[in-house]
Amino acid sequence: MSIVADGLTKVFESGRGRRRRRVEAVRAVSFSVDKGERIAFIGPNGAGKSTSIKMLTGILFPTSGSAQVLGMTPWRERRALTRRVGTLFGQRSQLWLELTPRETFRMLGAIHGIDQAALRRRVAELGELLDAGELFDTPVRSLSLGQRMRCELAACMLHDPAILFLDEPTIGLDLLAKQRFRELLVRLNEERQTTVLLTSHDVADLEHVAQRAIVINHGIVIYDSEVAVMRRTLLSTKLVEVALAGPAPSPEIAGVTFTQVTETSLRAVVDTTVRPIKAVLDAVLVELPVTDISVTDPPLEQVIAEIYAMPST
Amino acid sequence: MSEPWPLVATGSAARRAIRDPGPLAVSLAFYGVVASVLATLWRTAAASHGGALAGYSSAQFVWYIFTSEASIMALNPRQIELTGEDIATGAVAVELLRPAPVLGVRIATEVGRCLPRLMGCALLGAVFATVMVGGPPRPAALFLAAPSLVLAVTCNLTAQHAFAGAAFWIRDARSTWFLYQKLVFVLGGMLLPLQVLPAWLHGVAAVLPFTAMAYAPARLASGHLEPWLLALQLGWLAVLAVVARTVFAAGERRLQVVGG
Repeated sequence: MSIVADGLTKVFESGRGRRRRRVEAVRAVSFSVDKGERIAFIGPNGAGKSTSIKMLTGILFPTSGSAQVLGMTPWRERRALTRRVGTLFGQRSQLWLELTPRETFRMLGAIHGIDQAALRRRVAELGELLDAGELFDTPVRSLSLGQRMRCELAACMLHDPAILFLDEPTIGLDLLAKQRFRELLVRLNEERQTTVLLTSHDVADLEHVAQRAIVINHGIVIYDSEVAVMRRTLLSTKLVEVALAGPAPSPEIAGVTFTQVTETSLRAVVDTTVRPIKAVLDAVLVELPVTDISVTDPPLEQVIAEIYAMPST
Repeated sequence: MSEPWPLVATGSAARRAIRDPGPLAVSLAFYGVVASVLATLWRTAAASHGGALAGYSSAQFVWYIFTSEASIMALNPRQIELTGEDIATGAVAVELLRPAPVLGVRIATEVGRCLPRLMGCALLGAVFATVMVGGPPRPAALFLAAPSLVLAVTCNLTAQHAFAGAAFWIRDARSTWFLYQKLVFVLGGMLLPLQVLPAWLHGVAAVLPFTAMAYAPARLASGHLEPWLLALQLGWLAVLAVVARTVFAAGERRLQVVGG
């Protein structure tokens, strides 16, 4: 087992006397992760995802419960653990803005005690793997967010960690950069058997990266299942918005429910288990005077609401 | 073989400072103006007291002030505030994820960042002082002032981190910066040699660590061959390192309990 969490609980307390506040950020979270798994830890803002990651990396002590990461108790053996895991916080950079990534890698390599020749080899290897070699000599402040995140990923992979903890790594990235980043994570996992635990509030991260999803809300794990199973049961709807050139009758298509119809637009929910999204789009494009069309996933909150509505398994 | 991280951290930060010459040039210009004005004031004061004041000649005052100002102006004036912000916002938490002490990496980095400015100020100060009053009063003592300046900056940065560590508890370390700055200005001997202070205040200043941050290198550069000042600085550096380490260890533990 790479990670075992058993009843992890974190309560934050602030203020004194009558102003004392007690917030249960994480409540009795338990799960385990095998070597080489790709896990998405998803939930809305404030669900307890980052707090859980912070406990598993040793930055936070839990209020109660226990955890083992690579056989170590993170908050007691934090420094030893940092040599075996890589952590990336999407909203906190570990690269120095004024330096090139290569210079930061030199610093991180020294901190991790990596032999100079081995470090050079490793940086070249990561440059190739992440398709980022040419970015390593550009000052960080000149990189786009997507390019910077690839370099951040290289920085936390320098010491060849067995586990990657990624806290909202795709936040702020544009669609193409997100897609590329997700592909890189899958490649890293497949080529190096690196265990990936990713937090996100983006359903697409779950769909494109993870093999298994753990959904957390209000500090509680409310769902833990293979993504394939989850997709069949919960991610089977798509939202379609169509802009029209003029009034047109709503077509009748199996699996499609129109939720809003005006003279110039349509909104519909598509049940892809009844009819694949491609077939629905083909039908819409043939039958309606379409000027624009977009397909989106249902918001995570809706998915979580559906999980709440599910009978317990 | 891997490189020692303190050297890499210091070297990287120094390169980073050199690559951004704008702030370096501004701080050197500011140093030149402020130190020249202060040196002229004390030179005039000594001249009006028959050529010497509190045991310092006009020339010694000039060398003293250019050195004491260099030791302080080499530092980022908002260092405590910046470190405090990193602590209060939780940015420091990311640094806990490296297998090296947070405090050690931070101080090594800041020393590197200060070194180009320190060298620039020291060289500029030596040129200005030579133009104003001639060469150093005692070249051998000036030779000792060079390592003393590096120790002064290191002591100062270590003490600032200890003060900034207050942000682990009080969230806003700016108030500690105001207090700290004034203590260094007066009791550290930045604005004036300690011998100019009333005897009782001189006595107080002599037992405080601030003397290691400005007075020690300035006293040496002003021609007083007192090698024990280097030993004093090393002693204070050890004490300050223990204090800062204790504060950070307690602060990190608090961060682990209450979050960032």
